[in-house]
Amino acid sequence: MTIATTRTAPRPTMGALRQTLRLTRMEFTLFMRYKTAWLFLAMALFLIAVPLNTPGEEVFGGMASNELSALGMMGSIAVIIGVGHPSNVFTARREALVLKRMRAGGVPSAALFGAVTAIVAGFSLVIAALGVGLMVSVGAGMPQDPVMLLFAVALSAVPMTFLGLLITPLARNAESAQMAAMAPIMLLLFSGGVMPVGLFPDILHKIFSLLPSAATGQLIQAGYTGYDVFGGFEGASAVGPFELWVAALPSIGVLFAWTAVLGVAVHRWFKWDPRQA
Amino acid sequence: MTTTSTESPGTPPAAAEPVVTVRDLRQSYGDFEAVRGVSFDIRPGELFALLGTNGAGKTTTVDVLEGLRRATSGTVRVFGHDPYGQPAALRGRTNAVLQGDGLLDDLTVAETVVLSRDLAADPRDPAEVMELVGLTDKRSVAVRQLSGGQKRRLALACALVTRPEVLYLDEPTTGMDPEGRHEIWRLLRDLKEQGTAILLTTHYLEEAERLADRLAIMHRGEIRVEGTLQGVLADWGDRIGFRMPEDVGIADLPRPADTSVAVETRDQALWAAYTVSGPDIAGRASAAVAELLAWAGEHGTSLQHLHVRGASLEDVFLRVAGDLNQN
Repeated sequence: MTIATTRTAPRPTMGALRQTLRLTRMEFTLFMRYKTAWLFLAMALFLIAVPLNTPGEEVFGGMASNELSALGMMGSIAVIIGVGHPSNVFTARREALVLKRMRAGGVPSAALFGAVTAIVAGFSLVIAALGVGLMVSVGAGMPQDPVMLLFAVALSAVPMTFLGLLITPLARNAESAQMAAMAPIMLLLFSGGVMPVGLFPDILHKIFSLLPSAATGQLIQAGYTGYDVFGGFEGASAVGPFELWVAALPSIGVLFAWTAVLGVAVHRWFKWDPRQA
Repeated sequence: MTTTSTESPGTPPAAAEPVVTVRDLRQSYGDFEAVRGVSFDIRPGELFALLGTNGAGKTTTVDVLEGLRRATSGTVRVFGHDPYGQPAALRGRTNAVLQGDGLLDDLTVAETVVLSRDLAADPRDPAEVMELVGLTDKRSVAVRQLSGGQKRRLALACALVTRPEVLYLDEPTTGMDPEGRHEIWRLLRDLKEQGTAILLTTHYLEEAERLADRLAIMHRGEIRVEGTLQGVLADWGDRIGFRMPEDVGIADLPRPADTSVAVETRDQALWAAYTVSGPDIAGRASAAVAELLAWAGEHGTSLQHLHVRGASLEDVFLRVAGDLNQN
């Protein structure tokens, strides 16, 4: 058999978006085959379920503290999946020269990062949907603004994926990447996940609200309850959809700011090749 | 797997404009200069072999051509574009088989080739490419279950399926059995005939001898020898050799009247070697042999295993590496 003749016509081109979509399909296939990835999903769902099985007192609008904790944990879904999964697989791929081969084959960095971000966002949304199901099953009612809730989960996937990618230059193999990822995961879980920042004293509330997991947790709590919780749970009041989105802008800004900062850091420090200085 | 092509390297298409141009390329890592002033061209349909010892700077040179590293200094152009600064202009036109395979262990062979197809704008048929590299019967096997040679074939398939106009091959047949290696060689000849420009780095000198239109030998970051195989070997000259007679040291060996003939011993002074290079090699080698036979007759000794042969690429390679190791 002879190899097909090289074309003489002008070569077509493929856009980065199309490459991203095709890489996303590959990322999905691989995600489904990684046991560690399933562990991250189970861990995220488990951390939402735990508070719902503990007693809680009403805080505002019929919402109990344990339910608000569960919503706070929903803000940390992308922390667990986004930091845990990309740090693990991109370190392994770098060491196996997969990333180098793809780059040498003309795959742009935006497509590679975009695909894994899409997968993190997609699975985070699935876990969030399951979390909402758990909330409904314990009688917490349906979300008042599901768009805000889903927007928060999806948006938080971006900076958290970047944070996961930023861990890879610090790790020499997939195992050490998992270890390295634990520190930021724990830090972020305890800054708005395990204990909602709305319960914190004012000064701590303001500081922790600048962290991405806390900002996401607040957006989810607001989206679920329809209450303006961005100034803390004390004095939180039910507002209309427009007012809720206006009140949410600072938290959304926090997530965009983290996305920008971490994106620049990934561009500067991400290593494609084990030999890269 | 069968391909249709001749066994001999093709004629270098010297008339065509180079698609790869490297001028005075230098690449440093901190204080260490891995590549020191390398220059070469590659034309469409030409296979250029870059040979050298481990750490000679071959892979670093290829990395710069692939756009994975910014050159410290010098000029690198592929189709007139800087591969590091203008990667989008080269997207889909070049591809590579790296020294490591760079494959995803959790995908199957077919999934791996299809993924590469999906990322290309003008791909070949994955089934056709899998057949070309002899992996059709392994299409459902996970990459992690393949042998080293099969992984090399798969890496080549991933590059070929994107239909590159320039192909960088970093030791593409390492780990393959001899039959598999010959099949890949035939495939590369087909690609050349269709106009693909190929940069090959290899440790198998026979591979370069059979495939390369032109070659270069790198050592410690510099190109020490460059040209066509015939040109390189002609420059290196003929070698007259014989087993060293008993009680004769290198100082006792006769010096030919032609003072340009180099005299040395090899293999722990078991063999004498006279290297004749420059113009009229055949005539001057004959004269040197006549002088040696006369010397042997005068001293009543015999020159066991006396022979004259042209230099091989291995001779040239070892001389380049050896000369520099002594420096």
